Amino acid sequence: MFALLLLVIPILTAVAVLFVPERTIRTCAFLGSLVAAGVAILAAISFGGWGNGGWGLEYSTPLLPLYGIHLSLGVDSVALLLVLLTAGLMPLAILGSWSGIQHRIREYYTWLLVLSAAMTGVFLARDLLVFYVCFEFTLVPMYFLIAIYGSSNRAWASLKFFIYTFLGSLLALAGLLYVAWAAASHLGEWTFSIPALSDFASAGLTSTEQTWILAALLAGFAVKIPLFPVHTWLPLAHTEAPTAGSVILAGVLLKLGTYGIYRFVLPMVPAAVVEWAPFLAVLAIIGILYAALICWVQTDVKKLVAYSSVSHLGFCVLGLLALNPLGMQGSVLYMINHGLSTGALFFLIGMMYERYHTRDMGQIGGLARVMPVWSFFMVFFVLASVGLPGLNGFVSEFLCLMGTFAAGSTGAYPGLLGPWFAAVAALGMIFAAMYLLIMVGKVVFGPVREPANERGPLPADLNLREIIVLVPLAVGCVYLGVQPDVAMHAMEGAIRDTLAIYPDLAGSVHDMLASTGAEP
Amino acid sequence: MMQSIFAIQKSGIGVPAVPMEEVVIAADLSWAGLILLLPLISLVLCGVCAAMRVKSKAPAMITAAALAGSFVTSVALYLNYVPPGDVIPLLDWMNLSWGESRFDAFSANFALYIDSLSLLWIMFVTGLGTLITIYASEYMEPDLGKGYARFFAGVSVFLFAMGCLVLSDNLLMLYLGWEGVGFASYWLIGYYYQRPSAVAAAKKAFIVNRIGDLGLALAVYLIWVTFGTVQYDELMSVLQANDWRPEFEGWSVTAIPFLLMLAAFGKSAQLPLYVWLPDAMEGPTPVSALIHAATMVTAGIYLVARTYPLFLMEPVSLQVVAWVGGLTALLAATIGMAQFDIKRIMAYSTVSQLGYMFLGLGVLTTYGAAYHVFTHAFFKAVLFLTCGAIMHGFAGQLDLRKLSGLRHMKGWRITAWTMLIGCLCLAGFPFTSGYFSKDAILAEAFVTQGPGFEILGWIAIVTAGLTAYYTFRVWFRVCAGPVAFEPGDELHDGDAHHGEFHPHAPRFAINGVLLVIAIGALLAAVPYFLDNQADEHLAGGWIADMVHDSTAREGLPAGHGDVDGAHHATILGMDPHAAMYYISGVVGLIGLSFAAWLHLWRRSDADALSRWMRQRIWIGWLPRAMERKWYVDEIYHGVVRAPLWILGHMCHAFDRFIIDGLLVDGTARLPRTLARWLQPLQSGVVQSIALAMAGGVAIILLAMALFMQFDWPGGAH
Amino acid sequence: MTVGMLAMAGGVSLAHALLLAGALFSIGIAGFLSRRNLIVMFLCTELMFQAVIIVMAAFGHWYWDFSGQVFIIFILTIAAAEAALALALVVLLHRRRATLDASAWRELRE
Repeated sequence: MFALLLLVIPILTAVAVLFVPERTIRTCAFLGSLVAAGVAILAAISFGGWGNGGWGLEYSTPLLPLYGIHLSLGVDSVALLLVLLTAGLMPLAILGSWSGIQHRIREYYTWLLVLSAAMTGVFLARDLLVFYVCFEFTLVPMYFLIAIYGSSNRAWASLKFFIYTFLGSLLALAGLLYVAWAAASHLGEWTFSIPALSDFASAGLTSTEQTWILAALLAGFAVKIPLFPVHTWLPLAHTEAPTAGSVILAGVLLKLGTYGIYRFVLPMVPAAVVEWAPFLAVLAIIGILYAALICWVQTDVKKLVAYSSVSHLGFCVLGLLALNPLGMQGSVLYMINHGLSTGALFFLIGMMYERYHTRDMGQIGGLARVMPVWSFFMVFFVLASVGLPGLNGFVSEFLCLMGTFAAGSTGAYPGLLGPWFAAVAALGMIFAAMYLLIMVGKVVFGPVREPANERGPLPADLNLREIIVLVPLAVGCVYLGVQPDVAMHAMEGAIRDTLAIYPDLAGSVHDMLASTGAEP
Repeated sequence: MMQSIFAIQKSGIGVPAVPMEEVVIAADLSWAGLILLLPLISLVLCGVCAAMRVKSKAPAMITAAALAGSFVTSVALYLNYVPPGDVIPLLDWMNLSWGESRFDAFSANFALYIDSLSLLWIMFVTGLGTLITIYASEYMEPDLGKGYARFFAGVSVFLFAMGCLVLSDNLLMLYLGWEGVGFASYWLIGYYYQRPSAVAAAKKAFIVNRIGDLGLALAVYLIWVTFGTVQYDELMSVLQANDWRPEFEGWSVTAIPFLLMLAAFGKSAQLPLYVWLPDAMEGPTPVSALIHAATMVTAGIYLVARTYPLFLMEPVSLQVVAWVGGLTALLAATIGMAQFDIKRIMAYSTVSQLGYMFLGLGVLTTYGAAYHVFTHAFFKAVLFLTCGAIMHGFAGQLDLRKLSGLRHMKGWRITAWTMLIGCLCLAGFPFTSGYFSKDAILAEAFVTQGPGFEILGWIAIVTAGLTAYYTFRVWFRVCAGPVAFEPGDELHDGDAHHGEFHPHAPRFAINGVLLVIAIGALLAAVPYFLDNQADEHLAGGWIADMVHDSTAREGLPAGHGDVDGAHHATILGMDPHAAMYYISGVVGLIGLSFAAWLHLWRRSDADALSRWMRQRIWIGWLPRAMERKWYVDEIYHGVVRAPLWILGHMCHAFDRFIIDGLLVDGTARLPRTLARWLQPLQSGVVQSIALAMAGGVAIILLAMALFMQFDWPGGAH
Repeated sequence: MTVGMLAMAGGVSLAHALLLAGALFSIGIAGFLSRRNLIVMFLCTELMFQAVIIVMAAFGHWYWDFSGQVFIIFILTIAAAEAALALALVVLLHRRRATLDASAWRELRE
């Protein structure tokens, strides 16, 4: 029932926003999202699957039973963590665009809430078609958010965002439908239940079929993540999107891609994954370094952070492809951490933009003098993003790379991943420090440079509302940096389940080493 | 699962000398967490002060009190701990487990590893930290109400991170401290954030350190993959079970020490990663004294000492450490000789002295290295703090050509004489603390067998001479000679009265701290003569005790190194240690007299010599290269930074024009382009449409007639 | 083949009818393509209609199937209706531009 509520509350709020008086729109949207966040927390409390795997919060009602289509909802712990992230970011996004959006407010908040429902639906879906519908439906609100509320090049950006990701996910749909069709012809009846299809596909498909399905699924998910070389829509969309749009885009929408890999690619096509993991890992590593180098020469702060997302998500993919608990727990944690720290960075850039109407590093500088509070948060979240130990980014990045590093010495699949992958990818850590600190050095420190633009009505430094937006994210960063165990234990079981079909990989490190007599 | 981990930890550190069952479980030492907690509290309070825009010296008081508390706790811990030590769990951090084996779990918690090595370090770190904070309370006065709280918050962060680094019980918490001190260093170097050079220096320090951190991260991975643990006690028991021999197969045993070395060289500013340290002098001087001279930069030494058994498993690694250390010592000393900024001279001398310490580690005298860390912490702190006092008083003036005769000036006597003490120790003047600690390293270079270690020993001796020269170049120029000075460009209110500049001499806090630390620098020689508790054959007294009770000693080949009876090599027919007392004393005096000649007695000769050298082609490159720091920064810029920057632009262009422009937008434009081609057909003239239609029909009919068989009515089939 | 069909049939044969239809159609299409006057163009389309009608009649006769003739009736009726409509449109267009030149109406162009 919680699952249904999580889906319905944002939609109801969206409908309400359409009809309430003009003055109360923001409050209404904010309260609705707060209620949704509260329900998400209640759901998390009532969820029984923390740590030991399995599904929970299940809800199912038939839609087209003849073809096995049900409105079937449910979460495992990984999905619930992402639901929590979504539900948590939403009130902040609404609060963060309080003063930034001044025209067509009603539509804005409606789309934002619909988007929230769609994203939650993706994580809640247990039925393939529910998943797909929600997955695709995230595009529509986002399209309008960019196209109506974006910056100067918004039309092209929104079009590109829509068509690019849409094209990819159509191919993913083809792959998923093939799985469903193959399952139907094998089982004799239609089913779109994700667990059932995963069980069937992992065992029942030939490796050629798996390879093709992998390609089809990746066409959808890799574009969404985005993996090199299908990433170019992202910087454009980010730069043009309004602040809340960027936050949601970086915070949650990109995770739909990695979640798709976690939910579909890994369980459904293990043979193909094992075969292609090194290739994909190489793409991820190229993405890490390539995007980082591009960040280095950016002058637009927002574009820089957008490219840094490409770089960071590379670590996330790498962790998933390590196919061991270390890497995967790191990767899932990365999804959340990236949502917090990069989301916050986009908020901060939005706050700066609201005041100066520019994001050009050549025009602004030395803001520490003018906006000390803003600068404090900026440096804080940059450090979280760089992966300073004690903050959240470190734990996940460290575990992703460690998983990658350890993945080579298993010996089960020689050459799968390994130390070299980790070593080269780890160069991304240095590059991340470079480009983010260069950005901070220019924008936050140095002599004060302010553009001649007219300043907005906002106070010089952050106001209370903006601080309230940032504080929960900062608290989250510190908490997950100091107590990552909470999240990692929570997802342990789900990840064990996912990895269960890769038995030769998990935990076989010691078999090899046992022979060397290294055991104490 | 946690219980099982702590069951291992509670049982004490696996040290070979003491079998497990004999370990005395010490009294509850969990109050040791205060060492880390107090700086954290002072960080929070300083943050509150900053937020409330406190204009008093409260942040300094708070920080000094907290650090003093940490120091007292450290000393109390030293007095209460039971060798070989204990692990004190504080807080869970990361505990992953997915199976029974050691390799199926990864665990790193906030826990303190108390043994003599970590105690040695934490005591001088917190002690000097407290003193330098008191010094800074006066030094940072001009910034009261502006950056004052921010400064002391940075100092608190640093002390917290350094505590984590030194006291950690696992490599991951060490990594936390490692990056934490790097961050604190970034924070404090960039303290004057409106100065672009300070921001650039801070950035450079962080990034170069990140290269080292990369090595540390990879080392942690490799250690975990190889040994299945990152906790020292477990690691040591695994190694012990293997008799400290390199029987773990494969490349990882070779790679681990080299990766750790990369980390150590980054943090401790050795070749090729030393370039950040001289630039780091952009920070306020107390920071340079605390972080970039006395404590943080010795973290590399600590890391190598802490993981010494891993280095011993791959002998080549220690030889590399020795050579890198020796060469860095020489190179930095030559650069130091040619600089004019006294703070930079001190920075290069720090690099050079750190080189000595690595040389000591490389030639298997961990105690020599640790002792030099210990003495260096004091005398280099004094030197930096006196530089700071001068800078403070002369409005940022640091050029040794523009300052002279300080010891004759009113109010500057304490500065001048404490600086002399620091200089004597640094120069290795006989019977000062630096003299003993340096000799321990120099002698061992001749004792230990290794590729060219004897050459290395002579390099180190020559460097000692150079050190004496450039050290006293500073003192004779700045403190001796006739009184003369020019102010710097950082004039504060009240510096100039009636248009004339008056240096303001240091007051109580600065003078007091200078005196205390200078006395400390002299007394640092005392531990050398204290009795050993454990083994009377060991040289080096108390410090040797502190080092040898720890992991730094484990696995050292029996009867090697510091053990007196093991000396086989001789210099000039004497025992190396005895010979070194004379050699280094004489070399130091030679350097000192050169300095006295060129910079005190006849300063004009120095200029003449310099001019003479510069005009000779065969030697002219030398002073120029030394002054330009051997062009290392330029080489880095040309070889690393510029190519990467160009590569970045190339990637950006590739992304914009090839991937996005050609592939993505190209694909998107394909239908439209196709339509453009066909567009002229749509002329809108009915006739042309009809013609096209008719033509098309005609073509189809023709094709049908030619290629298809029709059942023509009435026709021939 | 055409020669064969003529030889076999004798008198007015299918082939004659088809030749006539072909000739009419060609005249119609040539006129349609070459003239710009809307009314002439319309007349030319009528010519093409007649060609088709002849073909239907001829085949209807040949197969002895009356549906051909039935369709002729249909086509003629519709053509008449069409003619009325088309001429009305032509008048309308003439009123707008005061010309009967088809090239005056090129709004369909891209």
